[in-house]
Amino acid sequence: MEFPLLLQPILILVVSAVLVPPISLLGKALKFERLREVFTIAGFIVAFYSLCNVYLKVSTVEGHLLSYHFKGLGPPFGVTFIVDWLSVFMAFLFCGLGLMAAIYSIRYMEEDTGLDKYYTLLLTLVAGLVGVSFAGDFFNFFVFWETFCISSYVLVTFRIRKWEPVEAGFKYLIMGTFGSLLVLLAMSYLYGLTGTLSFPYIAKALSTATVNPVLLYFLIGLLLTGFGICAAVVPFHTWLPDAHPAAPSPISAMLSGVVIKAAVYGIIRILAVVLYPVSIDWGIIVLVVAIFATLTMTVGNVMALLQDDIKRLLAFSSVAQMGYIMLAVSVGLVGGVIGLYGLTAGLLHVMNHAIMKGLLFLCAGALLHAAGTRNLKELTGIGHKMPVTAVVLAVGALAISGIPPFNGFISELAIILASINAGMGIFAAIMLANIIIGFSYYLKLLYILVWQSPTEKVRSVKEAPISMLFPMVILMILCIVIGVWPQPFIGFASQAAEAALNLTTYIRI
Amino acid sequence: MGLDVIWYLVSAMVLFFIGVYCIVAKRNAIKTIIGIEIITTAIHLNFIALSVAVPPYGVVDALAQSIVIMSMVIGAAIATVALMVIIKIYRHYKTIDLRKVSKLRW
Repeated sequence: MEFPLLLQPILILVVSAVLVPPISLLGKALKFERLREVFTIAGFIVAFYSLCNVYLKVSTVEGHLLSYHFKGLGPPFGVTFIVDWLSVFMAFLFCGLGLMAAIYSIRYMEEDTGLDKYYTLLLTLVAGLVGVSFAGDFFNFFVFWETFCISSYVLVTFRIRKWEPVEAGFKYLIMGTFGSLLVLLAMSYLYGLTGTLSFPYIAKALSTATVNPVLLYFLIGLLLTGFGICAAVVPFHTWLPDAHPAAPSPISAMLSGVVIKAAVYGIIRILAVVLYPVSIDWGIIVLVVAIFATLTMTVGNVMALLQDDIKRLLAFSSVAQMGYIMLAVSVGLVGGVIGLYGLTAGLLHVMNHAIMKGLLFLCAGALLHAAGTRNLKELTGIGHKMPVTAVVLAVGALAISGIPPFNGFISELAIILASINAGMGIFAAIMLANIIIGFSYYLKLLYILVWQSPTEKVRSVKEAPISMLFPMVILMILCIVIGVWPQPFIGFASQAAEAALNLTTYIRI
Repeated sequence: MGLDVIWYLVSAMVLFFIGVYCIVAKRNAIKTIIGIEIITTAIHLNFIALSVAVPPYGVVDALAQSIVIMSMVIGAAIATVALMVIIKIYRHYKTIDLRKVSKLRW
């Protein structure tokens, strides 16, 4: 039996996750402890390869849409997987950053115990994320959503011998679960309205049905709140600056880079595709999302200015960047050509932020690994002792604050242009002011870490090991490549945005 | 015939708000978990009540039952993780009063 192509990435990740503990035992028996790391990385590489196959298949198939359902259980009753450009775009990010985090973890996590559980959870996390992006109905969506949520709760609390991860993890668990439950509640009402859980069939049923608009606003509010909690939109952001710094650094990179992006994917998929046919005034929703987006970026940036802990600063910067992305998503909800442009900018920034923030968290992890502290004052001048990390950190910080030769500039410019295009000039102005604030604290970071002369505390620090530098350098090269040669990436993002807004193809399944 | 579907939906909503109250107002970590479980139960009730009210009429839709079973499994997993974390909180802080478990800034 030929196994369906589009299930392969998920299946490879899940099977490798299950196989990590026995492989680890085998490694102990063979006196080769690193076997599980090699196996995890191999699993990620094979999954990435099969994702490339899915990409090629999607690019050749008519309508650029693949679907799969188990025999005899097709939609609207069974569970479906639907893959379009948007799914492939997100899955590439999830899988790629997962691979980088796995390579980085070899040396970073070597002093921890229970590493077979760690690698199992890392693989499950990525499997859940890829599954969310491939899901074609709420059943799959919810199951994979909770898979990655539970993995990330446990990964945040991984170092249970310290108090900080435990407290932050509990906060994250309560808030994250509450967010997912709000989404599940909205699902139950959508199920009651349409009698199905399949995305295309819900869209089809809602385009013809006459539904009380109050109920629809309530549903959209539930979905936005639920996903907003998981995407750390202010005022639901309080878990993020605790949970992201408390996690081990590769996991911080995963959480900030891709896990909060899954919620953005959920908003795009469910609001822009599934609920878009309903006849309500989308202008109000666009305005509400844009207001919360500007609030998010302002609070995130201002709070980041006040931090003296490097990972906490980066976490608040993630909140701010989520604000930029949400602004682009709100432009995307306008629909039409303007919406397409906004969504392209947003998806481009999703990709760029995954790369830049992944890079910065990995750098912070390298500093933490070398010096044993996250306090900026104690890390003063550490860049002199770790030249490669310093260069990578400088590229990442300049990229995320929007300096031209790097990737952040392109997507931030695109978001500003898109929001001006949509007639939301005031939000674009607020975003410009925010980018300047962002630049100021990243300059402060660079000034303290790289420019100032080293203090006594960091004199004996050595450069990070090569297996930690390797993923950082790869991400840095990506930052520069996307910055100087953005056309293919913009093309991919715009294909994804087109797929996200192309409802007529989507509901033909 | 039993009650009309709307009564089940109303009681699910009541349960939901009891759960929200439990999360927001109770300071005991275990009671917070109980609040989450109550919300989960409310949503399950919602699904099961709606499964008879959607087409095809007259039969109970198996889709809703399968998602409820999956959700129960997931809820059990979340409760397990949460209770594990609560044990660790107790080891570190010697209390499960969430007002006292707040060394982190906001």
